Amino acid sequence: MISVRGLSKRFGAKYAVADLSFDVAPGRVTGFLGPNGSGKSTTMRCMLGLDRPDAGGATFDGVPYGQLDRPLHQVGALLDAGYVHPGRTGRNHLRWLAASNGLPVSRVDECLAVVGLAQVAAKRVRTYSLGMKQRLGLAGVLLGDPHTVILDEPANGLDPEGIRWIRDVLVHLAGQGKTVLVSSHLLSEMALMANSLVVIGKGQLIEQCTVDDFVGRYGDHWVRVRSPRVRTLVEALTAGGASVSPIDDVTVDVRGPTAAQVGELAARYQVTLHELSTQTGSLEDAFLKATAGVQEYSAEVLR
Amino acid sequence: MIDTLRSEWIKFRTVPMNVVLLGIGAGLPFLITLLTTLLIDADDMDGQDVLELAVGSSLITAMLLGVIAVAGVAGEFGFGTIRPTFAATPRRMRVVGAKVVLSVGVAAVVQFVLIAVCFAIGSALITSRGGSAGWADTSGSREPIVGIVLFAAIVSLIGVGIGLLVRSTPGAVAILILWPLIAEGLIATLLFVARLDTVAEFLPFQAGNRLWFFDDGSLGEDVVLGRWTGGLVFLVAGAVVVWLGALVTSKRDA
Repeated sequence: MISVRGLSKRFGAKYAVADLSFDVAPGRVTGFLGPNGSGKSTTMRCMLGLDRPDAGGATFDGVPYGQLDRPLHQVGALLDAGYVHPGRTGRNHLRWLAASNGLPVSRVDECLAVVGLAQVAAKRVRTYSLGMKQRLGLAGVLLGDPHTVILDEPANGLDPEGIRWIRDVLVHLAGQGKTVLVSSHLLSEMALMANSLVVIGKGQLIEQCTVDDFVGRYGDHWVRVRSPRVRTLVEALTAGGASVSPIDDVTVDVRGPTAAQVGELAARYQVTLHELSTQTGSLEDAFLKATAGVQEYSAEVLR
Repeated sequence: MIDTLRSEWIKFRTVPMNVVLLGIGAGLPFLITLLTTLLIDADDMDGQDVLELAVGSSLITAMLLGVIAVAGVAGEFGFGTIRPTFAATPRRMRVVGAKVVLSVGVAAVVQFVLIAVCFAIGSALITSRGGSAGWADTSGSREPIVGIVLFAAIVSLIGVGIGLLVRSTPGAVAILILWPLIAEGLIATLLFVARLDTVAEFLPFQAGNRLWFFDDGSLGEDVVLGRWTGGLVFLVAGAVVVWLGALVTSKRDA
């Protein structure tokens, strides 16, 4: 269990994180979302004691990170896959990391095999692609078999197979009862692997809830109707105040009434339905709606 | 602390640039000793001369060991590896301590072994060419051997401190090299003009150079700092730089 309480971090006069509090429960993947510059990475660095917070802090099962003895056994973190010396081999990078926490070299080789880098372990990191560095970073996370895993944008640079692999790894770790906190801009991926979300904007908490609750609260909802007599139904729906968007000659999206209400209306007018389904917007749509107004950097549409 | 030391030792050994710098640092004095004792008239050198040659030419080793110490710290900030380092060992002073012990220890051992090898091979070459050079010739002036070893260790101590303060390898290396070569010389000249020669003696590297000086009476009678008092001033300067570096490291974001 990770508990962040009253965390604040200022750079000059500007607060990157302001009085942020949230919890990350074990046994589930918790997505850490926020627009660029919202303070996600700063929060993670403060949690690990790398940045010194101006107020508040984080605890891991009640213990501040700085007080953990041999922390790799308890918390595995990957903040940036680029934090490696390019002249070292991948294996030697893990060796010094393992030695710092009293882990045997055999564990290094095990983790290299798990992330699929055993074949290139003796090559210098400067020859690695970004995806290979991400895998190396993940091997470092797994070294101490920690019960808490913190990852900042772990899918950066990974190919589709790698993205699926990291998703499977994180879901597997959460399935083992571990606490998993992961930030990512790949919201479609987050929708597939996360159970819970912590959403921040401008350093402050916007929402902490399950993914379903988040999408339910911020996402768009509508009813899709397909019928050979769709025009009859559309007339009845618009007369009742519903908003109707045509998809094709026989299909419309209806906003306003529920699927049950549309079904009852269709029955009243004896309209045969080929499809009647509730549609829900994506996590991306919900995220954009939730963070509208707290974007640090917003771009204009190209014309 | 043992885990941290072991980790730092692996880091030290697995950066190719360290091996290159060590090779240059140890190779140059070795080459100078080898060529000098091969080419000079064997009757012109005795054991004392070989020792002075080994100590004098190994100054470059001491400075390059300092550069390695600088890179071992500043490079961590440059490549970002300081973050996984502090994430793996959150007690930052433990990391700083391990870097100090390792840098100072490696510098002392390398410097001592180099002097011993240079002296042994130089003496052997002189003797093989019909001259006479042996350990007995140095009986009156062995203190500079200890002195140069301490000098190298303290330069590395200062290197760690500058690395912690500056966090940029090029900047920190420039300070370590240019301070004794240019800055202290300029300051010493100004102090000399201001008739403050005694103060100039307390400049860190001016004082530290006393450690390896072969006393031939050229220092004069007005000199305040001797070999060990000069070394103490140098050590204090190194300790202050490291202390400041550690202080900054404990407070700053990684």
